[in-house]
Amino acid sequence: MPKYAMVIDLQSCVGCGACSIACKNENNLSEGIFWSSKITETVGTFPNVRYHYMPTLCNHCEDAPCVRGCPTQAMHKLDNGITMHDTKKCIGCRYCMYNCPYGVISFNWEKPFKFWRDDEPVLKGCTPSPQEVVRKVNNGTATPYYNPARAETLAGARPKGVVEKCTFCDHRVKRGELPYCVEACPANARVFGDLENGTHEIKFLLGKFRAFRLKEHLGTKPKVYYIRNFNPAAYDRTKGGV
Amino acid sequence: MKGRLWIGLLSLGILLGLVTAFRVFSTGFVLYAKTDILVWTMPLAAYIFFSLTSSGLAFVSSIPIVFGIKRYEPLEKRTVFLEIAVLMAGFVCLIMHLGSPLNVIYLLLSPNLASPLWWLAMLYGVYLAVLLASFWRIQTAQVSKTLSTLVFLIAIATSTALGWLLGLPDARPAMNGSFLTVYFPLTAFACGLAAVLLFSLAYARASGNPNPTSAAQADLYDEVAKVFGVVIGVTLVLFIWRAIIGGVSSSEVELGAFRRMMQSLSFQTELWLGLVAPFVLMLIPSVRVTTWGKVLASLLLLVGMFAGRLEFILTAEIMPFGQLGEGVPQFVSYLPTISEVLVALFGLAVMLLLYTLGERYLNLDGTQEKSEAGT
Repeated sequence: MPKYAMVIDLQSCVGCGACSIACKNENNLSEGIFWSSKITETVGTFPNVRYHYMPTLCNHCEDAPCVRGCPTQAMHKLDNGITMHDTKKCIGCRYCMYNCPYGVISFNWEKPFKFWRDDEPVLKGCTPSPQEVVRKVNNGTATPYYNPARAETLAGARPKGVVEKCTFCDHRVKRGELPYCVEACPANARVFGDLENGTHEIKFLLGKFRAFRLKEHLGTKPKVYYIRNFNPAAYDRTKGGV
Repeated sequence: MKGRLWIGLLSLGILLGLVTAFRVFSTGFVLYAKTDILVWTMPLAAYIFFSLTSSGLAFVSSIPIVFGIKRYEPLEKRTVFLEIAVLMAGFVCLIMHLGSPLNVIYLLLSPNLASPLWWLAMLYGVYLAVLLASFWRIQTAQVSKTLSTLVFLIAIATSTALGWLLGLPDARPAMNGSFLTVYFPLTAFACGLAAVLLFSLAYARASGNPNPTSAAQADLYDEVAKVFGVVIGVTLVLFIWRAIIGGVSSSEVELGAFRRMMQSLSFQTELWLGLVAPFVLMLIPSVRVTTWGKVLASLLLLVGMFAGRLEFILTAEIMPFGQLGEGVPQFVSYLPTISEVLVALFGLAVMLLLYTLGERYLNLDGTQEKSEAGT
């Protein structure tokens, strides 16, 4: 049985956000919900200043606190290491969100796709309302860009009152395809693969570079690894002074 | 006339609560001041407040039956009924907190024994059943020591498991640890004593059946007030030590949220209104023996503890981490919405209505005639 993991090469990542957009399209994410997101940081003061960008997603922890805390096993581990969520079993207690040290689980506070339920046209007498577009394109059942493939393993669009998070695009992985964020990354900064396969590129990267994971000290054993870091800054070598 | 007005007020509270429930479950939780950062807010704080108060009442009700201190027997029936009413208020607030309450069937179909939340749900289910059975036995003058002992044990389990629930997550270092598993049962006991004093003295007086009716009863309430004072004192010491350790420690990442909360209204309310003021009132003998002194101290403690439950939950959440921290300040603020306040009032109204009906029809002053032999 494979054990899936992802390596993110921070030197290759340009911070374009294509991963986040691809993820939203593939997984029918509602407004305000990001399974693929980022942590940014600006350090220093002008002119000695630098911007850091780190893509984030569910870490699919081996010892996942969200899975341990879920009272109904709605949050559970698959044999291939993916941390999966079952919408039907979710009671909406949000204890997984309370337990997750990475803040990567979202809750559907209201019915999804609020924008597409709006019956006000953008320009009166000129453009249709979002609601009309939905009715014409998809018989009023989903958004115009709804991806039916997502519904193969999870509710196509999650209803209000339940949580949701990244599934490593398990529906694509099942078909032998890569997670869509990996597919969409223009810089090939995301590498996905099987940790059990000794010859896989992911094993090469983890052996060649000093990989780190987020909040490793907690012992959750995340399956998203980060390697390298981009920094073109140079400085004149001195010993400083007093 | 006064009684009808009271029932009318409580009915209005319940009606507003039902309207809020309908709006929340049809529109969504946007009616609450919740975000992916503040995932637990006032409805859950109200649940914790009511459920811990119910556990505290169980500690009080166990005194005459489990520990055999017979002079506390006159309190038994009222306390057990109050436990049920308060627990029902907790359940109301819990339902209003859950996003998909109908899915709770999966607690039975797909249990996760590693989850403190699953244990809490199961324990509270059993707790309610045992409480109802226990009250039935008291009502039929066949007090069961077995059932009372079970209630006592489950109350310990639930109040400590709530500490497990909030203190377990590594994700919330400001809460992480075993402090809550001690603090919760202790404050539960204080809330239980406060509720007994408040409902035995103030509520009875307001409904035209003033207590105490005898010198023995007056002595009993004085004794309860002394125990109450001791428990508040111990709680206050524990609370101050938490503040000293949290305030002096240099672990900014772990305790930054707690330090921020130390300046909050909820923290200050818990400290000054909920602990210091009732402790001072109970320390002064001339105040302690008066009905108003006991009632005021009880009321202040309950208000303070409600603020305290909210303070604990917010301490865990106000400091966003990871991707949640993108584009938001280092600390987020919280102000409850009207819907959230109505949820807490919904629970309170349910509890008060149940208690009022109990007072009216179940003779809560009644003492037991006979006890279960040998058990």
